[in-house]
Amino acid sequence: MSIAYDQTLDVKGARCPMPLVKSRKAVNELPVGQVLRVVATDRGSVADFQGWVKTARNVELLAQETVNEGGQELFVHYLKRTA
Amino acid sequence: MTITEGQTAVATFTPAELYARILRDEPLFILDVRNEEEFRRSPIEGRANLTTVNIPYFEFIEDEDGATARVPAGREILVVCAKEGSSQYVAGVLQERGYRARYLEGGYVSWGNFYDVRDVVTAHWGRIVQIARPARGDLSFAVISGGKAALIDPMRHVQVYRDVVAEAGATLTHIFDTHVHADHISGGPALAQETGATYYVHAYDAIHPIDMLPAVIAYTHVQEGDRFEIGAVTITARWFPGHTLGQVNYRLDAPDSRSALFTGDGIFLRSFGRPDLGGKGEAWTPILHRSITERLPRMADDDTLILPAHFSTLDEGDANGVFAAPFAEVRATNDALRPRDEAEFTSYVLSHLPVFPPEYVEIKRVNIGLVTPCDGTANELELGKNICALSNA
Repeated sequence: MSIAYDQTLDVKGARCPMPLVKSRKAVNELPVGQVLRVVATDRGSVADFQGWVKTARNVELLAQETVNEGGQELFVHYLKRTA
Repeated sequence: MTITEGQTAVATFTPAELYARILRDEPLFILDVRNEEEFRRSPIEGRANLTTVNIPYFEFIEDEDGATARVPAGREILVVCAKEGSSQYVAGVLQERGYRARYLEGGYVSWGNFYDVRDVVTAHWGRIVQIARPARGDLSFAVISGGKAALIDPMRHVQVYRDVVAEAGATLTHIFDTHVHADHISGGPALAQETGATYYVHAYDAIHPIDMLPAVIAYTHVQEGDRFEIGAVTITARWFPGHTLGQVNYRLDAPDSRSALFTGDGIFLRSFGRPDLGGKGEAWTPILHRSITERLPRMADDDTLILPAHFSTLDEGDANGVFAAPFAEVRATNDALRPRDEAEFTSYVLSHLPVFPPEYVEIKRVNIGLVTPCDGTANELELGKNICALSNA
């Protein structure tokens, strides 16, 4: 997947709710219009990010992908700050 | 609140405490903070006085004031999530705002894997013990007599069965699966391997009905009329095809003339086992009809205690969470068993079939050894309550 992004947030090893807590904070610090790539190992983050952006004020979920990195499953989320 | 990796101390509650309070029908308020999809798939169910509200944890992150305003003040709040972390977070938020909030230790996973053990029958000849998994509506049993023990439909977490047998000072000799289950993973093969007890299942169920592949686990074929002595009691296998082709009910006869019928997914207290989970509903429905109308009356007397493998709602059990009733009572109160000819029965089945959970095909593979899941995958496969019964709606 080739999604352009501006910053990366590594939350590998962080368990629920920390991937989302840290992503919210990082989006708050992101300039409007920029894209944050979040790399997580928590499988539950996939459905939770989908649910979160439905109610979130200024976040759009551009894409999600699952990649295998050296035998470890990574769940990658692309978040855009919209306002 | 300040977000740190190590949260401040927030009080917890255990699945055992929750279940005891649900059985007493105490007024309880559960705040389930999982995402909506997971909540809908596997809500915690109770009796009349249990109130459950779903506010996903990320709504507390997004709008703490708005989300908190939806939580009732002045009463105890029991917070539940999938694996504990976000319920701890939300309970912390609520506690800082003056709520009496606690969170479930281990999250929904620990509730789903919680077992409740209690006696159904105690007599001079021994005991029948019910081992229930309340979140799933799954029931299994131990028969203990004369220093011997038999298990019926033991589930995946085998330690609870080791404990029941050990506490009784008994030796496990027989493990009976009434059929190859589709909704949960059996503990039978694993227990047989470690104890040397024989694992019995009907050979018709040892072929995956959709894959048409044979079992690769060790099992002993059981057939109609096979008799087993467990101490002072006799257990007789009674073939009851329909839910699966190899569904077997086990009749227990005790020296004091008491009898019980372990019906597996043959019949339940308020319903019966759906005939479509093998993917052959059209062909299996008439077979189930004959089992219910012709076979069942020959294997249960009026006072035979019916002990099924599932319940659909807690109110099928008594106040103590025992799910058992004499056959005469089941016949009178179970609307699904009302006499019907084959055409009426077929249309009843067709109009009461719940959804077919796709994971049930995979669970059957696991149960005959075609697939071996890790613990996390097993938890996901078994998430939520069983859907083995016809719907009563």
